[in-house]
Amino acid sequence: MKEIMAVIRQNKVNVTKKALSDAGITSFTATGRVSGRGLGLVDMKVLKGAEEGDPQAISMLGQGPRLIPKRLLTVIVSDDWVEKTVNAIISANQTGKPGDGKIFVLPIFEATRVRTAETVTGASGGNVLDSSGGLE
Amino acid sequence: MSSKYLMVRSIVRPEKVDTVLEALLEAGYPSVTKIPVFGRGKQRGLKVGEVTYDELPKELLLCVVPENDKDFVVKTVVEKAKTGKGNYGDGKIFVSPVEEIYTISSGVKQE
Repeated sequence: MKEIMAVIRQNKVNVTKKALSDAGITSFTATGRVSGRGLGLVDMKVLKGAEEGDPQAISMLGQGPRLIPKRLLTVIVSDDWVEKTVNAIISANQTGKPGDGKIFVLPIFEATRVRTAETVTGASGGNVLDSSGGLE
Repeated sequence: MSSKYLMVRSIVRPEKVDTVLEALLEAGYPSVTKIPVFGRGKQRGLKVGEVTYDELPKELLLCVVPENDKDFVVKTVVEKAKTGKGNYGDGKIFVSPVEEIYTISSGVKQE
């Protein structure tokens, strides 16, 4: 099983939810507001402006790192569903501009369904992950 | 993926976040995600007189870094997030493997 963590734009949550359910992945967890920064595009611009002596850019320096609000989606799927899930998230979120977000794929060693206490380990989710690939 | 990547999850005091983020930025690790969380540790929360706090507010920082840079990032977070010698509540750092990374804007898998 794999855990797919996707940091996406705030206004893309609904589109992503629809794309995932269209792809047959019905279950996922959305963490409310997270904030973050990427390769520091905003900061780099400010820094460059400050180097060139722009007074507005200089006044923006030293206010601490700026973080941009995002949403974090966590989907847990069996190994053979990873590619499909990643593609669904990318196609729903891609605008081509910096700031679309990142997707990380991490291993999961064990999953348990609380209702029945069934536990599975390994590549496939077996009974615990539903037939569509997500945690039921 | 040619070089391995690791996810460093640090749980730190909310008031230390800015210091940690600034240090990481200066060290060349701008990318980070911050999540407000609540939790407790070994001390089972905090007891101040009559009042017990079962869960304390913390911030969870996610950084994904190349394997070779992990020690440096962990060291930076530890240095910047600690309040003194062995104070309770400074937080914890967990490191887990990341198998694949995609940039959504280009759809490219990181190699």
